[in-house]
Amino acid sequence: MAAALAGLTLPAVVEELLSEMAAAVQENARIPDEHLSLLKFIFGPSAIQALDLVDRQSITLISSPSGRRVYQVLGSSGKTYTCLASCHYCSCPAFAFSVLRKSDSLLCKHLLAVYLSQVTGTCRQLKVSDKQLTDVLFAEKKQKA
Amino acid sequence: MAETLRRVLNLGTSARSGEEDTAEAGPPLLLLGGPGSGKTALLFAAALEAAGEGRGPVLFLTRRPLQSLPRGTGAALDPLRLQKIRFQYPPSTHELLQLLCSAHEARGPAPSLLLLDGLEEYLVEDQGPQDAAYLAALLLDTAAHFSHQTGPGQGCGLVVALQTQEEGVSGDALQVSLLRRYFPAQCWLQAETPAPGQHRLRACLDPGGLGPRAEWCVAFRPNGEMTITPWPTQAGNLSLDKGSSSGGQP
Repeated sequence: MAAALAGLTLPAVVEELLSEMAAAVQENARIPDEHLSLLKFIFGPSAIQALDLVDRQSITLISSPSGRRVYQVLGSSGKTYTCLASCHYCSCPAFAFSVLRKSDSLLCKHLLAVYLSQVTGTCRQLKVSDKQLTDVLFAEKKQKA
Repeated sequence: MAETLRRVLNLGTSARSGEEDTAEAGPPLLLLGGPGSGKTALLFAAALEAAGEGRGPVLFLTRRPLQSLPRGTGAALDPLRLQKIRFQYPPSTHELLQLLCSAHEARGPAPSLLLLDGLEEYLVEDQGPQDAAYLAALLLDTAAHFSHQTGPGQGCGLVVALQTQEEGVSGDALQVSLLRRYFPAQCWLQAETPAPGQHRLRACLDPGGLGPRAEWCVAFRPNGEMTITPWPTQAGNLSLDKGSSSGGQP
């Protein structure tokens, strides 16, 4: 039960690491090595894949005049996945399987990439109309249907 | 949105401490109970309570109009409060998703409380866990967007009611555990042995790690009137959050 409750909130240790990384990036414009190894320790291979997505600038923050925002991540396979900005959700199969169904990982690589791109300030920004943002959010649903 | 519900449950109590009157929205809350366990009446009471706070309107989503206005829900049926409650009746999961995805296109003041009754009716059409997760996540995202609009310290709360099966049928256990990831606070409604002429329920509120569990007795008279009293604590059982099995796990 405790594991289920903690399922979609990042543990305090990860939150702390992310904010330390953000501070370090502001100071030195790069992520310190000890943070990188800690990241690999917590997230395993997903950490490398997520850093790779950040390096390739695969994360786009889409926002509309309303202030609503959503992330899109271009996966290594060329598919685009939608990540919500306010809570843990990614449209990729790994999120459905490993995070939701099996509860054996905290995040998928796309969500981790979103958090890392926030830390490093390297996500692309795309401004769209309110209507277009609706389509982005709603398209997520239609793709699977 | 544990806080609005807690205030509703505390209305019948004289011990209403001042600190509970904060405008803090609290974490999203899942209201769980079997058929006819008073979920709609409690949601409506929460709507009335929030409508009286002098903040934005209350958005009440449900598949079909309420059959009757619940009675005796604490706040009087003040027309000014009722005016602030906006009902919308998305007829299908598709329409509900569309409504949530386009919530930022609406003009006017952002809601201070988002309520959804009968989530189970929108989940039956869905296929896999990812669809249920997207619906839950979109509800949170919509409330987060409303919070962003209303400004700091005055977030938009979220309370979602889900009908659970009778005990023994645990087919929906997976779904409930998935939803609980998105709703850290939960309130369980459980039928008690009926008193003459009354329908009694035990309401157990778990505010999501922010405080101890609390319990109330919710009773409905035959005319539909709802009364809420603190659950009588037995001697020596004051710390009821650990030992009691009253959490109502299905």
